[in-house]
Amino acid sequence: MSSNQSINWQGNLACLKDEGLVIKSRHVVGGKHVFGPDSDFTTLAISGLALLSEESEVKAIKIDSNIDEFPLQACGYSIDDSADWNVSCDSESACISISKSKELTWQVDGEELDQELYIKIQDAWSQEMDAVSQGAFISEQSYRSGAPSRMNFISQQLGDIRIWPPREMIGDQRPHEAAPMTQAGTIESWTTLSAGGAPSEFSLRAPLLGGICTVYVRMDDGPCGVFLVADDESNAPVIGNRVNFAVRRIYAQDGLIRYGLKALLP
Amino acid sequence: MVDVAVIGAGQTKFGNHALGLKGMWSESAENAFASVDGDFDPSMVDEAFIGSIAFGGGQIGNTAALLTEHTGMDNIPVRRVENACASSGFAFRDAWMAIKSGQADIVVAGGIEKMNDLTPERKRYWLGVSGDTEWERLAGLTFPGTYALMARRHFHEYGSVHDDLVNISVKNHMHGLDNEYAHLRKDVSFDKAQNGFMVADPLTLYDCCPTSDGASTVILAADHVAKSLCEDPVWVLGSGAGSDNLALHDRPSITQLVSTQRAAISAYDQAGITANDIDLAEVHDCFTIAELMATEDLGFAPRGEGGLFAREGRGRRNEGDVTINPSGGLKSKGHPLGATGTGQVVEVFKQLRGEVESSRQVRDASIALTHNVGGSGATCAVHVFGRDLN
Repeated sequence: MSSNQSINWQGNLACLKDEGLVIKSRHVVGGKHVFGPDSDFTTLAISGLALLSEESEVKAIKIDSNIDEFPLQACGYSIDDSADWNVSCDSESACISISKSKELTWQVDGEELDQELYIKIQDAWSQEMDAVSQGAFISEQSYRSGAPSRMNFISQQLGDIRIWPPREMIGDQRPHEAAPMTQAGTIESWTTLSAGGAPSEFSLRAPLLGGICTVYVRMDDGPCGVFLVADDESNAPVIGNRVNFAVRRIYAQDGLIRYGLKALLP
Repeated sequence: MVDVAVIGAGQTKFGNHALGLKGMWSESAENAFASVDGDFDPSMVDEAFIGSIAFGGGQIGNTAALLTEHTGMDNIPVRRVENACASSGFAFRDAWMAIKSGQADIVVAGGIEKMNDLTPERKRYWLGVSGDTEWERLAGLTFPGTYALMARRHFHEYGSVHDDLVNISVKNHMHGLDNEYAHLRKDVSFDKAQNGFMVADPLTLYDCCPTSDGASTVILAADHVAKSLCEDPVWVLGSGAGSDNLALHDRPSITQLVSTQRAAISAYDQAGITANDIDLAEVHDCFTIAELMATEDLGFAPRGEGGLFAREGRGRRNEGDVTINPSGGLKSKGHPLGATGTGQVVEVFKQLRGEVESSRQVRDASIALTHNVGGSGATCAVHVFGRDLN
């Protein structure tokens, strides 16, 4: 492991240290790191663990109460208070330390985010938490059952064919569960929906962000999927460009934040 | 086997209605009953199928029973048919099959939707209920977004351009200008359509149909009954339907609708025709790219040449190979989801009988087609109609 070297990782800033890792949101307001439009401690933790897993074996973790344990479980981590790896949240800023010993610190500059926009987006998330669906919606049960595929690309296999999202086929078309897909693909199409065209679940944030951007991606493993763009990036996607993925907030409803993989533009 | 004819057809104006569901249905049914050449009593109807998504949730269960009790069709078997925007296209097919099977002689197929009495947020919610909720809606997609993905991919694969879509928009607004039933009766210039407000890049406001209130009603009859009730019936020469994976990402291609292709092949085979025989087509242009792809999927243009077809004006009334959307289509006439499919039949019925405004009449029309798509193409119904049975 290196020390104090800044890595741009899944839209965040990370630093691998001998004892573990520090990861921070790249967004800053008044010198303090703050969460971007679709991130929080949970997404920061998942992102940090993904990077740390490239260097060390990380299976079991203990987590701070500010982190939602379900998305981490969906990504394959087991939550265990006696685990060696400790994921702790900074009480002052959008920063997470992952280590086996003491809490790690690291200083790095970020990108200034408009303070007014930041406050409005955080307010919108708070309001969304109180929103109630009008009927046909994604229930908590449905969200939870699809989470391993939505957050970790758990897929299926039928002969030579990789299948994702998972299907409930019958007879000789019934696939078996397969390993997670590679988190990389190529953009085949894209669109930016105006605030007026976005689903009602996004009606509070879409006007603040100038709409929402969706890409249609062919994964390297074969299947296609549609994904929101992470960080509500304002850059236009390009057909043929490569994308990677990161878990981010999608929307909140009935007191529950829905997380899922979003596309990271190059 | 028994042949089936349309002997009457009527609708409300599509647009913003002060009338509610019951009022719109009554007006539509009354217009249909009055259009029958001979004396027609609604108590003669054996069965009814009414298409509706139940947009807004005002009346979801038992819609058909609620509506038909107001229009003299008492105590007969009725049901709501739901296949998203293709609901009444499939209601029409069900009515056709009921007669074909010999179980009924006179059947009503209709459709209805009330869309414009909702808050904008509630409307956005309902506009997204017919895609793959778990995997498309969670990716922020409603149908403008879904069709925008198709459009951009079509541009990429075939070299079609947004101006091709503009041509479709301008044509359909021109066709709908004199249609008394149309929602948006306005002449739209190329320049205006080209520079519309961006809804879902690359689709602008002028690429998207409006949300409309409306109802439509069609009366179908077995041949032996049709001839006694109607001097000039319009014959159903073919009925085809198909389906496809609901989610775009599960389809091999997002620049064509397999459901349309399958429905068209079936309908053409039954009718004993090819696409070249069709004089006019009411095509499901919920978005202009949908019409462009339909011209390919229905066989009016080779694969990848839908853009060229539009550019050359080959769908213009009385000018091109086939008149596409003489009513103005969903773009101008409007799109009250459940009412659209049978609304297309109303137009075809009147066109083939020479009953539309003279400025809108397709000359010498003898064979017509309706094409009704559910959502982004998961379902599709295609029907072929003729002035003559053979």
